[in-house]
Amino acid sequence: MPTAKDLQALGDREVVELAKAGKEAAYRELLRRYERPVFSLIFRMVRDRALAEDLSQETFIKVLNALESYRPEYKFSSWIFKIANNAAIDQLRRRDLDTLSLDGAPDARTADEVEATALQATDHAESPLQELESRETGTAIERAIARLRPEYRTCILLRHVEGRSYEEIAEVMDLPLGTVKTYIHRARIELREYLADLRT
Amino acid sequence: MDKQLDHSELDALVLRELSSLPGLAPSRGFQDRVMARVVLPRPAAVVLLQRAGAWAIQPRRAVALATAYASCVVLTVLLAAPWVAAHASVAGLGASWLVAQAGHWLDAAAMSVAAWTVRSGLVSALRSAAGNGVRPWFLLATIAVGYAASGYGMHLLLKAPRRSDALADTL
Repeated sequence: MPTAKDLQALGDREVVELAKAGKEAAYRELLRRYERPVFSLIFRMVRDRALAEDLSQETFIKVLNALESYRPEYKFSSWIFKIANNAAIDQLRRRDLDTLSLDGAPDARTADEVEATALQATDHAESPLQELESRETGTAIERAIARLRPEYRTCILLRHVEGRSYEEIAEVMDLPLGTVKTYIHRARIELREYLADLRT
Repeated sequence: MDKQLDHSELDALVLRELSSLPGLAPSRGFQDRVMARVVLPRPAAVVLLQRAGAWAIQPRRAVALATAYASCVVLTVLLAAPWVAAHASVAGLGASWLVAQAGHWLDAAAMSVAAWTVRSGLVSALRSAAGNGVRPWFLLATIAVGYAASGYGMHLLLKAPRRSDALADTL
């Protein structure tokens, strides 16, 4: 029975194998390894601590309950980041749909229906952008990252904050390698511009 | 040239800032909250047994199973009875052979226990203790401690499953 220290010395694949054999310590080791990277990625995508925590929790539950379907030819980190990123992107899309309801649901036909559906969003005191900005952590670079397109944001966070390779990012995002490189290049240009604006 | 320098400076600043971003941690108890909703894999035999148990424990099925079991026993006895009656001498021989074998094994076991107590010096130790005037309360205390240790051992063996297992069972 490997101890927590033994597990720390093992690679992800070996830990996953032990987890598949029902070792609770192996599950906790995977959680220990990825709770910060996954939470950081999701938080910087959705900019809301409680929501990021919920989404991270859902990500881990999904991953740990589906370990049997994990294919060892892929990196475990790619798999978990992919699920985390999808959860964050889905959330951002839902948020976008919420902003549409400010003007009434798209399928609202009568004036009454438009008014009724538009009222759903009037609880928000701020516009989504204002809300987003008010929840920022404060530093200039965090503000600049928050303004990037979600795809650029994922790429730049995985590359320069989590230190993942271009190939792994391509795997996480289901994108060609060239596209990932382009996204990162463009994201860096945008970040540069935001920071330059702040300086002037 | 100046603009170019600004660009490279800014690029370096961006990379520096990005690499210095701290890793953020979820709130305390995050691991436990996740683990409470994770179902740990169990051996296939255990899963099969639990499913069979869950299936059989329902009142109608339990009654049906008990009836089927009782019918099997009664049917076997009814079928075997005429044969036993017809071959009473063979059956009697078989039964007496089984009893003799059981007696033999019991006898052998008792003899080996007795031999071990003599060989191990337990008997002589008890004799010398009695000769030295060991007080009865000391023996009683030893026996009581032995009982307590056995009780604690049984408690450890039969204690309730851990919280995570119990939760996994409910999922």
